[in-house]
Amino acid sequence: MSLIALNNIYKIYNVGGEEVRALDGIDLKIDENEYLAIMGPSGSGKSTLMNMVGCLDTPSSGVYQFEGEMVQEMDDDQLASIRNRKIGFVFQTFNLLPKATAQQNVEIPLVYGNIRKAERIKMASKALEDVGLKDRMHHKPNELSGGQRQRVAIARALVNNPSIILADEPTGNLDSKSGHEIMGILNQLHQQGNTIILVTHEDDIAQNANRIIRLYDGKITEDLNTKKN
Amino acid sequence: MLLFFENFFISLSAVFANKTRSILTALGIIIGVFSVTMMGTLISGLDKTFESSMSMLGRDILYISRYEWFGDMEWWEVRNRPRMRTEYVQKVKQRSKYALAVAPVMQRGASLSYGEKETRTEIFGTNEDYMKTITANIVEGRFFSQNEDRSGSRVTIIGFGIKEAFFGEKDPIGKYIKIDNEKFRVIGVLEKQGKFLGLFSTDKQAILPIGAYNRVFSKRGWMRLSVKIPEEKIEEGLDEIYSVMRHIRGLKPNQKNDFAINQTKAFEKNYNMLKIAIGGTGTFITLLSLIVGGIGVMNIMFVSVKERTREIGVRKAIGATKGMILGQFLMEAISICLIAGLLGLMISYVFSILLNQVFPSTLDMRLAGFSIFISILVGVISGIIPSYRAANLDPIDSLRYE
Repeated sequence: MSLIALNNIYKIYNVGGEEVRALDGIDLKIDENEYLAIMGPSGSGKSTLMNMVGCLDTPSSGVYQFEGEMVQEMDDDQLASIRNRKIGFVFQTFNLLPKATAQQNVEIPLVYGNIRKAERIKMASKALEDVGLKDRMHHKPNELSGGQRQRVAIARALVNNPSIILADEPTGNLDSKSGHEIMGILNQLHQQGNTIILVTHEDDIAQNANRIIRLYDGKITEDLNTKKN
Repeated sequence: MLLFFENFFISLSAVFANKTRSILTALGIIIGVFSVTMMGTLISGLDKTFESSMSMLGRDILYISRYEWFGDMEWWEVRNRPRMRTEYVQKVKQRSKYALAVAPVMQRGASLSYGEKETRTEIFGTNEDYMKTITANIVEGRFFSQNEDRSGSRVTIIGFGIKEAFFGEKDPIGKYIKIDNEKFRVIGVLEKQGKFLGLFSTDKQAILPIGAYNRVFSKRGWMRLSVKIPEEKIEEGLDEIYSVMRHIRGLKPNQKNDFAINQTKAFEKNYNMLKIAIGGTGTFITLLSLIVGGIGVMNIMFVSVKERTREIGVRKAIGATKGMILGQFLMEAISICLIAGLLGLMISYVFSILLNQVFPSTLDMRLAGFSIFISILVGVISGIIPSYRAANLDPIDSLRYE
């Protein structure tokens, strides 16, 4: 069974009386430990697809199974719970809470997961250690560089041991050196067995993945296996 | 439960991150809580003062004099009324079947001295029935007798304050003090009573037999009669004393009363009106400031939700449910109001301590609890709509919000 199975997914918006098909009949299966890059020009529906996969959005029609569970039938709280336990988000703009320290930021998913304080600190420290920020745990985001902030965000995504990590343009706001570091971390996470979905419009970033799909007008136009081994 | 505390700490840190804004917002609530607790403190202090003062007067006593205590008569009308006379005492006693005791009371200022010590005070001339018409007791010595009154004996019963000032711990009985340079022998001391309505001390007084009072000072001057009636017969007694007095004065049925009979009830009526006035004003100020404060909090919560739209998006993306977001923002509104309530309470507390120097006032703990409850309630009411809005933000739109 696939980790993720999208079956004939449509997402249709009504903008000013006109029907916009953001996703137009998507069929996609993602297996465990895949390293997938979603590519496409703006407006192609890649953000919508990522939101869909990330359970932030539900399809207008079609079937979405996440580890066998029917996502399109879930209510808001069930979606929140799936996001909390199964999905780790990494955003282009990091989206850390500015007033909280690195460690507190990483703890947030655990707070919503109802995990006790002592346990939370342990898990957050471990996650920060894994991304190489052991000595920056008590710094606030404005005391960290862009690359370090993104690493905190990755630690936050990782801390709950999610089934997939969804990275939306993770290097988009970084210089190339920091970008390389971040991709290094993601590659490493993949090697450790994590499933990673990357949304990007940069070819060389997408090259890190083992599989690249291209979207155009809400349809998958290319599904390329670039497995190196 | 765990989440409850998490929310509490998250919201506290949010409140403290915007200290000035939070305090300014909550000013209305601070004032509201301050006014409600001060109002309560004031009323309970007044109650205490009033109760103890009324117990000095006694509810079973009728006070007959020329003027009504809380009347609206012109002063010249009152002045034209005939005076009270000492003879009335006997006449009332003879004609009334309800009167248990009738005491004439004359009063004037005088200077008291003992050796080098001197004080200015009020002296009262009365008869042997007087003790039945007041609630204080004799703590040392005795009251004067009818014979001492009739024979014009120069004896006096002094208030506790005078005793303390003149004799300290020593025994005053049998000592001679001077009242306006006339020697009087101290035969008794009245128990300590405190101030009447917080205004004048009843412990600084000297009581003389009216016989001696009239001889030494004057026969004329202001006088009242205190008539003790059995408490359960007070209504009948009042009617009876009216007709007795009208008879004494020789009034025809069509003539108006040229005297007044006062009761502690008159105080109570006026006091209750005062209490309603204080309570009404206080409640009005409280409500107004709580409403203003509540609107302020609601406004600042809307701003807070708007400012943190992105944060809400992130929180939702990493697993916060609607309820959790609602709880977080609601808790923030409650925290602002709660802190404001506690501040208001602190100010009230300091005020009540200061006020206690001049007026009996203590902050009532139940009222304090109530005002905290009100603060929380205002927090809930003013926080619910902004929090609901935050909880229902679309995570995707919020994440994109700049």
